[in-house]
Amino acid sequence: MTEPSALQIGGLRKTVHVGFRRRAVEILKGVDLRVAENDVFGLLGPNGAGKTTTVKVALGLMRPSAGTVELGVDGLSHVGYLPENPYFYDYLSGREFLGFCARLFGLDAGTRGDRVESLLRDVGLEAAAGTHLRKYSKGMLQRIGIAQALVNDPELVLLDEPMTGLDPIGRVEVKRIIESLHERGKTVLFNSHILSDVHELCTRIAIMREGRVIWTGSVDEALAEAPTLEDFFMQVVTA
Amino acid sequence: MNQIAAIAVNTFKETIRDRVLAVIVVFALIMIVGGLWLGSISLGEQGRMMKDFGLVAVTFFGLIVAVFVAAGLVHKEVEKRTVFVLFSKPVSRAAFITGKFIGLCGTMAAVLAGMGVFLFLLVWAVAGDASGMTLVAVLMIYVQLLAVMAVTIFFSTLGSAILASVLGICVYVAGQLSHNVLSLTRLGKNAVTEALSWVVYVIIPNFSAVDVKAGVVGEDTLAWGQVALWTGYLLAYVVVVLALAALVFRRKEF
Amino acid sequence: MLRRVVAILVVLACAGVVVAYQVSRPARAPADPRVFVPSPKFFQDFSPSFRTSIADAYYLIMVQYYGEHVAGDGKLDSLPAMVDLVTTLSPHFTRAYLFGAFALIDAGRADVAYTVLQRGFKENPGDWHFPAYLGFFAYRYGEGETKNLVAAQWYEKAAAIPGSPDYLPRLAAALLAKGGEEEKAILMWGQAYLAGDKYARKKAVEGLERVLPKEKEARMRALAPLYETMPEADANALIAELFKAYVQ
Repeated sequence: MTEPSALQIGGLRKTVHVGFRRRAVEILKGVDLRVAENDVFGLLGPNGAGKTTTVKVALGLMRPSAGTVELGVDGLSHVGYLPENPYFYDYLSGREFLGFCARLFGLDAGTRGDRVESLLRDVGLEAAAGTHLRKYSKGMLQRIGIAQALVNDPELVLLDEPMTGLDPIGRVEVKRIIESLHERGKTVLFNSHILSDVHELCTRIAIMREGRVIWTGSVDEALAEAPTLEDFFMQVVTA
Repeated sequence: MNQIAAIAVNTFKETIRDRVLAVIVVFALIMIVGGLWLGSISLGEQGRMMKDFGLVAVTFFGLIVAVFVAAGLVHKEVEKRTVFVLFSKPVSRAAFITGKFIGLCGTMAAVLAGMGVFLFLLVWAVAGDASGMTLVAVLMIYVQLLAVMAVTIFFSTLGSAILASVLGICVYVAGQLSHNVLSLTRLGKNAVTEALSWVVYVIIPNFSAVDVKAGVVGEDTLAWGQVALWTGYLLAYVVVVLALAALVFRRKEF
Repeated sequence: MLRRVVAILVVLACAGVVVAYQVSRPARAPADPRVFVPSPKFFQDFSPSFRTSIADAYYLIMVQYYGEHVAGDGKLDSLPAMVDLVTTLSPHFTRAYLFGAFALIDAGRADVAYTVLQRGFKENPGDWHFPAYLGFFAYRYGEGETKNLVAAQWYEKAAAIPGSPDYLPRLAAALLAKGGEEEKAILMWGQAYLAGDKYARKKAVEGLERVLPKEKEARMRALAPLYETMPEADANALIAELFKAYVQ
């Protein structure tokens, strides 16, 4: 018996129209993907492979041209998302921003306060909680981004390049957060270029190229075919 | 509801903390004080001149705030990709548009209240004939600007912020000429032009139906029934335009 | 450091040029007796919500225009159009009519001034200023035999408006007498007597003395219509005053 899915994508296609003459460009050419519950799933692929678009379609930020997306959780209330190179409201302080996100999930004032403070602690931004986001460094923005993705205690967490811009300490902290999410039975899907992090964290991976998933399997399966994950990745994407 | 409130509060904070807004308001207050000078060369019509030109300043600067802030609101969220954060959460596009609009209503209320009370106190202190009608006129200007804001937000969901600002101003001007469009419908020479004029007449907001400033300077006696009807009409207009904006925005991908 | 100093000097020099240019222009462009004044219809059609604001702006322009020319070349060619514009856009702007009317006299256009005031009275029938000034204009600038009577009629109208000053019936009565309408003048002096204080009553008696016949019986007859229009106590007091000389 297979484990229940947190996210199931079938035959997903996405065509966008660009330029003045509305030229059609097919970004996704039939993506099939299944993320099981409690997986830490790595979505890998070179730039332009369609990783971010896949995530955006899964979240409803883009509409699919064809195919299906099924969230295994009960709507977006149970999903957390960190966009790539996140940009937030720079006129808000870290605390105000997290409070705002919590309000969007309909959390009551009491829960909101506790949740915001504990998240600020978890991402190491307690000291900067009252500072406006315009004064945050790139690493601090990445951390507050992760905090906002977790503000609703989601079942499924989608992280687009979560390690980008972080210093080594920041990376360790994010890894710790992902591990703790896994321990608490949550499902995590993340895009990353940093294969060592993927190796360390992921239970399963999918490799995308030119709008298709060309390989899916566990990290162990990948390592069975090549000495390192980097070698395996290169082998698959250049095949 | 909670989400609309959250977005509204956030929008209020965003706009009220904008330094450009402070600069515009300070400039408007300077212009209102400038009415003192105009009053001094008016051969004893100090109060009338201050009220009339003060209200023009309130309208003009209110319009600038309405058009330029409203045009940037939605566009900035898309441009800076903060929409990813919003719409990856269970926030509907309609809630977003409504929240943004309500937040801006709060900012506009603060701006106009500041200018209106300042004008009232200045007239009271200098000319001694301040009347509550001045504040009523500011309220009516506010209602007009709500319609301008809604229209500008609608245009900003379609295209660029600059285009939305320009179109917002165009709609304000067109709204002032609403009765001229109505006279076009009465020419009745050509059924197509007549029908087209009717469509345009219905689409553009009617800002020329009530002249609030004339009431303040004692020119016209305001018929309160007409004012209430007109306010109701403009608020209904706002609802329709925002619904259209939400509809357009629903189709948008990020 | 040197570059910064040079930059500052260049900027200051440019600022100097800007100021010098403006200051060296004639302080004021020569006043033009004819200026373009748009039709009121234009503003009514294209900016109805700013109707009064435009009227106010043109009122200020009108005052400046008058001031510039009245002490200079005395040419006020565009004044009629300005007064028309301001008062059409803001028909209840009393001061614009009154200032305009007096300015039009300086422009040598008493006829236009009179029409402007007539229009003002039509728009503001509750304002005594209009008929009062119309009376003055009719008396001062009117022509022909009937001008005193026309003026008196305006003063009568003004006197009938609540809140009007009590000298108006006296003016009306005096002009009626001057115009040969003694009967009406007597009635008007009666009104002046009723409307006023001690001073006004004294003036009314003096006025009646001037207009009434000296002969006792004729005087009695002339006063009969007035007696009917006045409350008894006032009428008796007035009669007593007017027949003081005849009692002895």
